[in-house]
Amino acid sequence: MEQQHALIDHLDNTLRGGASAETQQMIDSDPELNREWQFLRLAVDAVQDAGLYEEVATVKEQWKIQQVQQTAVIRPTGGIVRTLSRNMAKIAAILVLVGGGAAFFKYATISSGSLYDKYYTSYSLNTSRGASGEDAMDKAYQAKDWNAVIAAFSPAKRTNKSDFLAGMADLELKKYDDAIEHFEQIMAANAQANTDYFQDEAQYYLAISWLAKDKVNEALPILEKIRADKNHLYHDKVEKMSFLDLRLVQYKESK
Amino acid sequence: MRVAVKYTDAELIAAVKDERTLNEAILFIYQQYAASTSSFIIHYGGSEQDADDVFQETVVSFIDVVKKDKYRMEASIKTFLVSVAKNIWFNELKKRERSGHREKIFEYGRDQKEQDISHQIGDLEKKRQLRDLVNNLGEPCKKILMLFYYENLSMKEIVEHLPYENEQVVRNKKYKCLQALTGVIKNNPAIAQQISEIVKS
Repeated sequence: MEQQHALIDHLDNTLRGGASAETQQMIDSDPELNREWQFLRLAVDAVQDAGLYEEVATVKEQWKIQQVQQTAVIRPTGGIVRTLSRNMAKIAAILVLVGGGAAFFKYATISSGSLYDKYYTSYSLNTSRGASGEDAMDKAYQAKDWNAVIAAFSPAKRTNKSDFLAGMADLELKKYDDAIEHFEQIMAANAQANTDYFQDEAQYYLAISWLAKDKVNEALPILEKIRADKNHLYHDKVEKMSFLDLRLVQYKESK
Repeated sequence: MRVAVKYTDAELIAAVKDERTLNEAILFIYQQYAASTSSFIIHYGGSEQDADDVFQETVVSFIDVVKKDKYRMEASIKTFLVSVAKNIWFNELKKRERSGHREKIFEYGRDQKEQDISHQIGDLEKKRQLRDLVNNLGEPCKKILMLFYYENLSMKEIVEHLPYENEQVVRNKKYKCLQALTGVIKNNPAIAQQISEIVKS
């Protein structure tokens, strides 16, 4: 019993930065003591893991409450009151009505889906990438036979290119979840192998796919990243996008 | 606790490592990544509850990896989280298949070349079993061990939190609780075998 208490004291001191080298040496040289030591360490690891699990569970509950609260009414902010002449006030009222009407129309009609329709353009398989692989998938893609492209995709023989073409075919067929999976697979494969084959294309069309799914919160960070990277293949295209519209949708969809 | 800040991956790692910002970091992870991971789990046949459980397990694993300095910034945090979630969910599906739950197991791409993260996240099933042992200890023991080993409180601080007379009483109770936990762990044959192998090597 005393030995076990000594081991526990040593463990506590080890965890709090005051371990005795002598005791540790004893543990290392005695298999039975070492076995007890390993069990104690495992027990403490288990307590720490259970503690972390509970902490995450607590924050998760707070997050769920926040999600519900996000539907709450947004408080109006106070404005500065200025005195206007009668005519100026009329003009201002008309401008507010006209501008407000336009803004209201825009607000009412804009959505991630509408932005997807605005920004989606098909991907053409260019000759440098298409010519080398005159396989069934390339031919099907060039013939816009999207079902055949998907049928030609083999998970066992996947490459970034085959994932990309399959993802684009899924996009054309409005199978957005499948498209997202293909594009994310490309990015994961590139990250793992430290390559960038079809990386820019996958990033851009991943953002577009999220827009199609009405998930502007997923799309925005990717588009911002592309806009910030002047060497990105889709930089110019993204720069022409209206980030005001994107943020308006973000605001609208968060309500 | 409303997180207004947006972390970059590097900032998020730093926030996870710092006890003072850990909760904000966890909240940020939920705000940013829970939806996409959940849609993946649901896409592969999971329920909303499955997605909820898998993501919680994913977040715990991620924090554990980061705190143990085992996280390598080879991929983005999002990619890492998705890989961990996939790993957890596919293992869960296999487990359900083994135990005869064949209601709707999808073709979940066994031949898919997944990012191998098992060396980073360790044996999650074993962790789950150990966590259950802690939870079955009973509330007084669980609390005292959590306060000391997870919250890093001193004996003096624990006396303030729990209805014990003095530090010595708490100390004795803690000995007993840790011994009790070690005892139930020893009774788990698979874990005992693993410990024997570690000691031998």
